[in-house]
Amino acid sequence: MSEGLTAVINAFPYMLGGSVVTILVVLGAMGLGLLLGVPLAVGQVYGNLSLRRSIEIYVWFFRGVPLLVLLFLFYFGLFSMLNINLSAFAAAVIVLGLISAAYQSQIFRGAILSLPEGQFRAARALGMSDTTAILYIVLPQALRLSIPGWSNEYSIILKDSAVTFALGVPEIMARTHFVATRTYQHLPLYILAGLIYLVLTYLGTRALRALEEKVRIHGYAHH
Amino acid sequence: MKKVLWLVLLVGALLLVGNVASSSAEEKVIINGIDANFPPFAFVDKTGKPDGFDVAVVDWIAKENGLKVEHKPMDWDGIIPSLNAKKIDMIASGMSITDARKEQVNFSLPYWTIKQVMVAKAEPNVTPEAAMKDGNKIGVQRGTTEAKWIEENLITKQGKKFELVYYDSAPLAIEDVINGRIAAAAMDDAPAKDAVSKKKNVKIIGTFGMPDEQFGYAFRKDDTELLNKFNEGLKKIMASPMWEELAKKYEL
Repeated sequence: MSEGLTAVINAFPYMLGGSVVTILVVLGAMGLGLLLGVPLAVGQVYGNLSLRRSIEIYVWFFRGVPLLVLLFLFYFGLFSMLNINLSAFAAAVIVLGLISAAYQSQIFRGAILSLPEGQFRAARALGMSDTTAILYIVLPQALRLSIPGWSNEYSIILKDSAVTFALGVPEIMARTHFVATRTYQHLPLYILAGLIYLVLTYLGTRALRALEEKVRIHGYAHH
Repeated sequence: MKKVLWLVLLVGALLLVGNVASSSAEEKVIINGIDANFPPFAFVDKTGKPDGFDVAVVDWIAKENGLKVEHKPMDWDGIIPSLNAKKIDMIASGMSITDARKEQVNFSLPYWTIKQVMVAKAEPNVTPEAAMKDGNKIGVQRGTTEAKWIEENLITKQGKKFELVYYDSAPLAIEDVINGRIAAAAMDDAPAKDAVSKKKNVKIIGTFGMPDEQFGYAFRKDDTELLNKFNEGLKKIMASPMWEELAKKYEL
């Protein structure tokens, strides 16, 4: 076991470097997912029939195809065909972001639908345009309500990011594997990887919890 | 709330832009894809830097030719698609030269001959024949020549009744030998020696009839310029004392 401990201690800085890569992948993917997920949700709730159908197909596709298949399809297939020479890291962020957009759109849609319908009508009655009502009445509330679902999404992407090594992204799992190969201390190193993921999950969900508290409107509850 | 949102979006956007920009600026660097789970030919050292016999030789040749090479650890499964999709420019990572692979890539001169061996628990009287008896399990790394050869020759042609279990890397197969899930693991002799030197409870039990193989560097079909440069470089280094020195350094 002492050999294992030595391996773990020696590998620690290198693995922390992998955590930075993992965190960047997750932040990038969540950012992209948010950027696309909000309009998708708004479109699916308020859009016309063809828009709603298109968004449904998008969500169905990105939730339905396994991550690894999507990574290969985009990295070796689509991006190559289009002659877009993206790094493995950028490809991982984009694919995880597109998938996350599908999941996040459903979180936001749920939040929008949970708002009393009367609010939107009242905003219209006050002379607001649809866009104004969505931007200033619906979304500020819906996004606040989405944070718990969002922290769920965070922990899922965090763990999904481990699959991106298939493209050569040097994140936590990839590095664990490299060190284990060199030292033959597989078990202690996998335990270390597991602990790092646990800490990252904890920190991330804590941060989102703090965000939830910070943006809460005191005394406001919609029922 | 808004500020936080914008911050998240900004970080995301910057990451993407930064990445696209950096990947186009680095165009002149030759990227060598390696399987970092293949010591002593290719692995990642304590500080996280790619290292190994192949890495050292490629660095030497690159320096001679004034080329800049970056070694990129990748998954073995996707390494040839990565080469043909121009994600990497060459593969110098203990790749056996085979006819099937020749259809997809060009190989350099052969630079190393390798035997295929089996590794089992260090117990007396274990032979490859005993390990391969009916109902036993034998481990291999997925996508390797030994995996293909065992499937085609031992299982299909000779009708042996052991089960082949596939792993991500040879060291993982060895883990399962130690755990007792498989009777033996088949692999190249160099990584097998590396494993035996680090794990006292396993040993090389012998060969299993597979012909010797030769390693070569792989290049894209249309990239003969780079292939020629590395062929010249290989000739030079193999004739120099450096070759023996490096082989010794990596315990080959």
